[in-house]
Amino acid sequence: MNSIRFEEVSKSFGKTKVINQLNMEIKKGERMILLGPSGCGKSTILRMISGLEAITVGNLYLNDQLANDIDSGDRSIAMVFQNYALFPHMTIEENVGYGLRINKMDKGEVKKKVVEVVDILGLNGLEGRYPKELSGGQRQRVALARALVKRADFFLLDEPLSNLDAQLRGQARKELVKIHEMYNQTFIYVTHDQIEAMTIGHRIALMNQGDLQMLDTPHNVYHRPANVFVATFIGSPSMNIISAKSAGRELLVGPHRIELPDMWLAQIHRSDSTNIKLGVRPEDMILSKNKENLSVPVDVKYVEDYGNRVGYYFDLGDEEAISIMSENIFGTGDQVYWNIKPDKLHFFDADTAQSLGYPKEIR
Amino acid sequence: MKIKNKQNLIWHVVFILLVLLFLYPIVFAVSTSFKSLNEAFNSTLNLIPKEFTLEAYTSILKKIPIVRITLNTFAIATIVTTFKLVTGVLAAYSFVFFDFKGKTLMYFILVSTIFIPFTVTMIPNFITVSKIGLRDNIIGVALPQLADATGIFLLRQHMRGIPRSLLEVAKLEKTPHIKILSSIVVPIIKPAILSIGIIFFINSWNEFVWPSLILKSREHYTLSLALQMFVSSEGGTDIPVAMAISVLTMLLPLTIFAFCQKHIINTFVQSGIKG
Repeated sequence: MNSIRFEEVSKSFGKTKVINQLNMEIKKGERMILLGPSGCGKSTILRMISGLEAITVGNLYLNDQLANDIDSGDRSIAMVFQNYALFPHMTIEENVGYGLRINKMDKGEVKKKVVEVVDILGLNGLEGRYPKELSGGQRQRVALARALVKRADFFLLDEPLSNLDAQLRGQARKELVKIHEMYNQTFIYVTHDQIEAMTIGHRIALMNQGDLQMLDTPHNVYHRPANVFVATFIGSPSMNIISAKSAGRELLVGPHRIELPDMWLAQIHRSDSTNIKLGVRPEDMILSKNKENLSVPVDVKYVEDYGNRVGYYFDLGDEEAISIMSENIFGTGDQVYWNIKPDKLHFFDADTAQSLGYPKEIR
Repeated sequence: MKIKNKQNLIWHVVFILLVLLFLYPIVFAVSTSFKSLNEAFNSTLNLIPKEFTLEAYTSILKKIPIVRITLNTFAIATIVTTFKLVTGVLAAYSFVFFDFKGKTLMYFILVSTIFIPFTVTMIPNFITVSKIGLRDNIIGVALPQLADATGIFLLRQHMRGIPRSLLEVAKLEKTPHIKILSSIVVPIIKPAILSIGIIFFINSWNEFVWPSLILKSREHYTLSLALQMFVSSEGGTDIPVAMAISVLTMLLPLTIFAFCQKHIINTFVQSGIKG
């Protein structure tokens, strides 16, 4: 059963189009991540689900019911805002119980429910404090508690961890997943942080400039990116994208001729044009002093030592590529070989930037 | 307080002199109100009365219904302040949190009324109030002052500082607007409302020209009109009595200011800055 369905939804602010014909289905109880660079429209999607933003064109269904004109108060939405949006003049207890009180729930009942979530989120002892007396991490948990206490069908989170420091963020990620497994609401999570997206999401919807780029599991988004944007957005450092030409059974990269692995022939020849983009993740780019049968000679141009890993920069044709390895074994100016692992390659159409697909041997 | 360096010292001296300059008339008024008429004329610059007397105050009690006049002033100031705040909060709320056609234009017109001098509206207002039959009535004084563009402007600035997301949380809970106003917006900007209210109150308390046009009989007078009675009245100004009324007039505003000065100054310094 789908709990949220977008049907050709577009959204414009004045003349600026921010969402372009979005089609998306989100399953009941799913953790869906809306990911993308700032300004890509991910928050707008969240706000359209909540009803805080109206839909310009298209239809939105919530629980299989057309929701375009349903008031946000009637949509069974709980939301955690980026700035937490805690009421500064209310205590933590009053903040958490706000929605219940405003909807005239019995006082004893409110108290019981508040105590329950306060317990779950480890906020005991802070009930009488005001938001300004709490740390960032505690505020974030209060915001979460206020959203949880509602038991809404849809749980919307707008970059809820972006104001936390890195250490807290890691802990909060795990907590969020645990909480979701407890309540099992449909979870829509907006973030620009790919680590959050990869670790929290059942599926990721990657947006760019109002267009849905890819909607798939974190595994597929990483290992089988649908286009160059997805390939370079996910992963750090970004995937190397190298211009190449296909010529029969060979691939031309700058001055180098590489014999095409058999498994890729069908995919490469699917493209009408001979111009293609070759993608290799830096961590899949293995450099070695020893030449193997499928390899390209390169000159190390620059070395960056990150402590746990080392980055080697070199030129491949017209582009600069980076290889990430675990050991610092080469120096600037060293002549080494990039030994190609055929199952770690990605191919894209140079004109459309779309993936040429993957052979069935890969995953 | 530690004085850090020469520059600071100079500033301190300048400010102390300024404070003395501003304080002098007030001290003068208080001291003269306790002098006899003779002494007031003979030793003008003497700040400590040679002979301490309550003559001026007893004479006020005999000559005018001072308690009634004080109550009138208080009633007008209270009515004006309450209404200005209520209308101001409602107007500012709709300007900040509602979207409607012509909002910008309406706001512009409203704010531009701040720049219309009182003298322009004085006569039309006088005629209107007279026609309604509210001359010589404190309601007639209050009537044209029940809404205030400056107040709306200031309240709007403070409301704009409230993060939108707070309102959105309320919306997701289906909170009606009146509840959003009373349980979220007003509590958050309470300090601003309080200090803007104090300023409305003191302005109304000190008002002279408009009440002098409307109020004719002594028992309807306000304090500033009563003060005027003893200045250059027939037989010359009775200085101690005039000063005594001055002291009574400034007693309440000064007390309010003494208690709330931190609030008042903060509101104007922080206008537009989130709390």
